[in-house]
Amino acid sequence: MNCKAIIAVLGAVLCTILLLLAPARVQAAAGTKVVCVSCHSTLPGKYGEPVALWQGSIHAESGIACNSCHGGDPADAANAMSPARGFLGVPKERDVPAFCGRCHVGVEKDYRASAHGRALGSGGPNCVTCHGNHAVVKASLQLINEKSCSRCHGFERARLIREAMEETEKRMAAMEGKIATFRGRGVDTERLEKGLFALRNSYRSLFHNVDVGMVRAESERIRGELERLDKILRKVDEAERVRKLAGVAVVASLLLAALLFSLLRKSYD
Amino acid sequence: MNLFHRIARWLEVRIGVGELVERELTGYLLPRNINPWYSLGSILMTAFAIQVASGILLLIYYVPDADKAFASVTAIMNNVPFGWLIRLLHAVGSNMMVLALLLHMLSVLWMGSYKRPRELNWLTGFVLFNLVTAACLTGYLLPWSQLSFWATTVATNSVGAIPVIGQQLVEFLRGGKLVGAPTLGRFFAMHVAVIPLTIAALVGGHLFLLKRVGVSAPPFGKEDSRNRWQGESYRYESHPGGISFFPNYLLQDLTSICLYLACLMAVLFFDPYIFFPREAFNPANPYLTPAHIKPEWYFLPNYQTLKIFPSELLGLAVQGGAMTLLALLPFLDRGDERHPLKRPLFRVCFWGGILLWLGLMVWGHYS
Repeated sequence: MNCKAIIAVLGAVLCTILLLLAPARVQAAAGTKVVCVSCHSTLPGKYGEPVALWQGSIHAESGIACNSCHGGDPADAANAMSPARGFLGVPKERDVPAFCGRCHVGVEKDYRASAHGRALGSGGPNCVTCHGNHAVVKASLQLINEKSCSRCHGFERARLIREAMEETEKRMAAMEGKIATFRGRGVDTERLEKGLFALRNSYRSLFHNVDVGMVRAESERIRGELERLDKILRKVDEAERVRKLAGVAVVASLLLAALLFSLLRKSYD
Repeated sequence: MNLFHRIARWLEVRIGVGELVERELTGYLLPRNINPWYSLGSILMTAFAIQVASGILLLIYYVPDADKAFASVTAIMNNVPFGWLIRLLHAVGSNMMVLALLLHMLSVLWMGSYKRPRELNWLTGFVLFNLVTAACLTGYLLPWSQLSFWATTVATNSVGAIPVIGQQLVEFLRGGKLVGAPTLGRFFAMHVAVIPLTIAALVGGHLFLLKRVGVSAPPFGKEDSRNRWQGESYRYESHPGGISFFPNYLLQDLTSICLYLACLMAVLFFDPYIFFPREAFNPANPYLTPAHIKPEWYFLPNYQTLKIFPSELLGLAVQGGAMTLLALLPFLDRGDERHPLKRPLFRVCFWGGILLWLGLMVWGHYS
């Protein structure tokens, strides 16, 4: 075989290798995030259903993928579910709060302290009972509803809790909007934002509390704090009103001075 | 003899105050048909003085450090007594100053006052306009807000379209590959020292030329509005029988300045936020690009021009060409006639240019 033939064969081999490698590399790159989804979405029944449910969830919206909860290697299809790669699989019913609590630390604490949490293992609900397992929706008061609660007990107490919290929720949303408006006017709202953040945390801890009296008392306290924040904003508003009044005086004085100078000029003409 | 007279007498015998007042104030005669547009120069001097004074006051509390700048501006607005007034005066004042400067240039154009022998007056004025916009651009970064950061990123990016030296120029302006602490240092030095001192020097030059060449009479209300100077020799354009600068025109200046200040204060007290989008009150975050970052209103036509053309270089070239044309206008427009109603081509260019500029501004705002 002469030199030209060797170069031609080597060139052909190299091209073939490159052609074979190229799609493989593309697939690996594209599949980095979807290896769980790409397999499970083709599976029937309980193995495939979670994909569609997860896709419409707050977790999917926030970029929390399968491996964020279940562990494993999302980049390697062959070893995706290997315990050696940290795969945890499906938790047992008793282990669900700890499973979710790896991220939702404070919420787990609140839940365990509640009547719901204390009944865990003896028929009480765990996280997925109310929030769903894969179709996790954004936590809101809408989760406390007759259909959901009356699967286990009457809705009356839950209704009272929801009513107490609804008003607080509204006020908190209104305060958030107000603070944003003031920030857009150059007002230093850092302290107010931190205060509201702390209140929102306190408020969120009530979500897992089923003690009506405590929820009512705590909601009342939060509303009182919101009123205090509102008072600070009203003071800023009042200061701005005074500034505007001063502005009227300044602008009127300048216009008057302009008129006087103009008249004086005419008298010289 | 009371104290005032004694001081006046003391100065008179030493520096001849009486003669100075006679020559520069009461005996300084201006055209009889002078109009209020001529007072825009005095308005601009006042505006510049306000910018310098408020800027010095801001310097007391402002910290030119990327980690502290935003907090220091927030403190000025909220904690320093009357800090909000000083800061708003500086920020709103800069916008009003650009507006007054544009009106001044337009009035000079409309009355044909840029024509010979006032080419140097026009050129110094044109450079002053560019320096004021440069002061605005450099000052924009100083609060280190999201708006500051990203507007500066966009503005400095466009320089990169210049062939060969573009990227080096961008890095020179920024002091690095990206907008950061070195950019703040550079822009701060330019904003508080280099540009204001150059402006002050050029204002001096502009006034010197005004005094040497004399005030141009408006072409309105005259039978013959042609320019009589043919370049034969130096000539001071005097106005025998004209009105005195003091007290007559000084009172017009004061009237106009009060009206200007009334407008400035009205915006400042009632709606200063027309010049402050929400991003202006969020600290700079290099990792979070705001969705709709737009430059100040007077840069919107430039911004839109860059977007219209398929390449930034072409957009920059068109802008450069237009600015060069405007700068060299007195050398290109050499006709004798000054009255705008006797110059149809000029009128078309004048109004067409204004409409184009406004159209690009509106387009840029809504694009």
